[in-house]
Amino acid sequence: MDAPAISFRKIGKRYPDGTRALDDVSLDVPRGQFCVLLGPSGAGKSTLLRMANRLAEPTEGRVIIEGRDLTPRTMKPIRRRIGMIHQSFNLVGRLSVAANIMTGALPALGAMRLLTGVFPETLKTKACMLAASVGLDPAHMSRRADSLSGGQQQRVGIARAFMLDPAIVLADEPVASLDPRISSDILALIRDQARVRGATVLCSLHQIELARAFADRIVALRHGRLVFDGTPAELDRSAIRAIYGEAGPVPIASGGLAA
Amino acid sequence: MNTAAWHYPRPFGTRAVAIVIAAFALLWITGQRVEIGRMISMTGEAALAAVGIVPESEVADGFGAVAGKLFPLQISTRTEVSRIENFHPRHLPPFARIESVESTTQALNPDTLEMEPRTERTTVLVEPVGYLVHVAAKMLETLEIALWGTVIAILIGFPLALGAARNITHSPALRGVAGAAISLLRSIPEMISALFLVIAYGFGPIAGILALAFYGAGYLGKVYGEDMEGLDPRPQEALAAGGATMLAQLRWAVLPQAMPRFIAAALYVLDRNMRMATVIGIVGAGGIGQELKGRYDMYDYGHVGTILVVIFLVVFLLDRAAAHLRRAAL
Repeated sequence: MDAPAISFRKIGKRYPDGTRALDDVSLDVPRGQFCVLLGPSGAGKSTLLRMANRLAEPTEGRVIIEGRDLTPRTMKPIRRRIGMIHQSFNLVGRLSVAANIMTGALPALGAMRLLTGVFPETLKTKACMLAASVGLDPAHMSRRADSLSGGQQQRVGIARAFMLDPAIVLADEPVASLDPRISSDILALIRDQARVRGATVLCSLHQIELARAFADRIVALRHGRLVFDGTPAELDRSAIRAIYGEAGPVPIASGGLAA
Repeated sequence: MNTAAWHYPRPFGTRAVAIVIAAFALLWITGQRVEIGRMISMTGEAALAAVGIVPESEVADGFGAVAGKLFPLQISTRTEVSRIENFHPRHLPPFARIESVESTTQALNPDTLEMEPRTERTTVLVEPVGYLVHVAAKMLETLEIALWGTVIAILIGFPLALGAARNITHSPALRGVAGAAISLLRSIPEMISALFLVIAYGFGPIAGILALAFYGAGYLGKVYGEDMEGLDPRPQEALAAGGATMLAQLRWAVLPQAMPRFIAAALYVLDRNMRMATVIGIVGAGGIGQELKGRYDMYDYGHVGTILVVIFLVVFLLDRAAAHLRRAAL
């Protein structure tokens, strides 16, 4: 039980052209923590996050999930333990909201159910309950996913991520394509859903205020290196300068987008 | 503002001019080779002849001869009763009637060993729209060939597309095999494969169906594969991130997104097959083309005329129906 949920060990990522996306990044995320990754665009936040379920592969170092090495062989069972929430929601636009939520449970289904789309009652009930708990209306369920607003689509994305009761939730800039006013709602939803299930969250963001408001812990990258690791309270002016450089994050109105 | 540094870019440069000149040169040279000049002068002469300005035109005479032979359209059939097995005058086909025809022929009298005129009475079954019904049946067979050619094209083309699509099949070797099969199928026109299929399967619709299916499978394999590769990859990645198998990704991310394009491509193949099914009949692959070729070879131009009119009517009606369907779908 004491193995961290996610453990990055000396992670490096070098592209064939020689550019380094990540350099010697080590990070342990204990179970149940809401950990936010901060950093300017291109710092390697997304790349590191996507290494936790092997959507990206490190060129150096190891990724250990709940004490198990993440390799091509262990990838499938480990991915089932991980829910993911995406920046542009990544729903199947032409399918109904209900079907999109259900796609989160596909790894648990046999080939027959998968092909016919006849799902077990328990999963159907679960999809409805999740839809309700992320704030969707019953009328939304049969509507096409692409007919919903961005905020509603991300609610569907969150419900999908929680279908198999994941131990870990990866959120890759979950509010970057949303109206700033609903960003807090969405992040609160992710935090609360994770807390209820005891799930660990690794979430990349670029809004410092949102990170301060929701994170248990903030980790920051700059040029592919870890430059900050601490509590929201420790993220002071000098730490922000270390992350974003002398220019700092683009000044913004409260709740808005940072650079 | 420094006005000297700012100037609006020219709409086209020397490169565009060079391309236009090259294109015109190409058209000029190839036009000489295929006698485009003669085509224009002959057509012009025919147009002038039609309004009476020029007395004579080879082209106008040619068209006139064809039109004269095709009309009147032959829509009835006349069959000698003696040639019909189990003929019963009480049970005639609908709209049919019996006529008695007297014909005089010169025949050798075996007693006198001289040629004498002999009058014969033959009974003929006349079906006033018999040939039209026959052509309609052949046209229906043509459409059925087109339909089944399309169905089998989808059944072969879809798995090939799966094998060739980069986001479905990760093995380059497998993709290479599927790609080669697709190229092979696409490289043989229906007309050519029909020639060989007729030898293998005999005259009739089977050869036609397979000829259309093979070419269509190559086309759909290519188009479906490209459609799947051209989709937004993110929904598929989202399912893969959750641990879904490739089958699950295909069923719940790729197919739902690709379906409108798949249907559009299949309808294009069906539309093309409807026209191709007519043509490949000429080499014996069933349907109305086979009837057309047979009548043409027997100089039955009245029958040929009927066939052409029926083909035109069916194509026209199908186009109208397709336009209606598209409007309804939108």
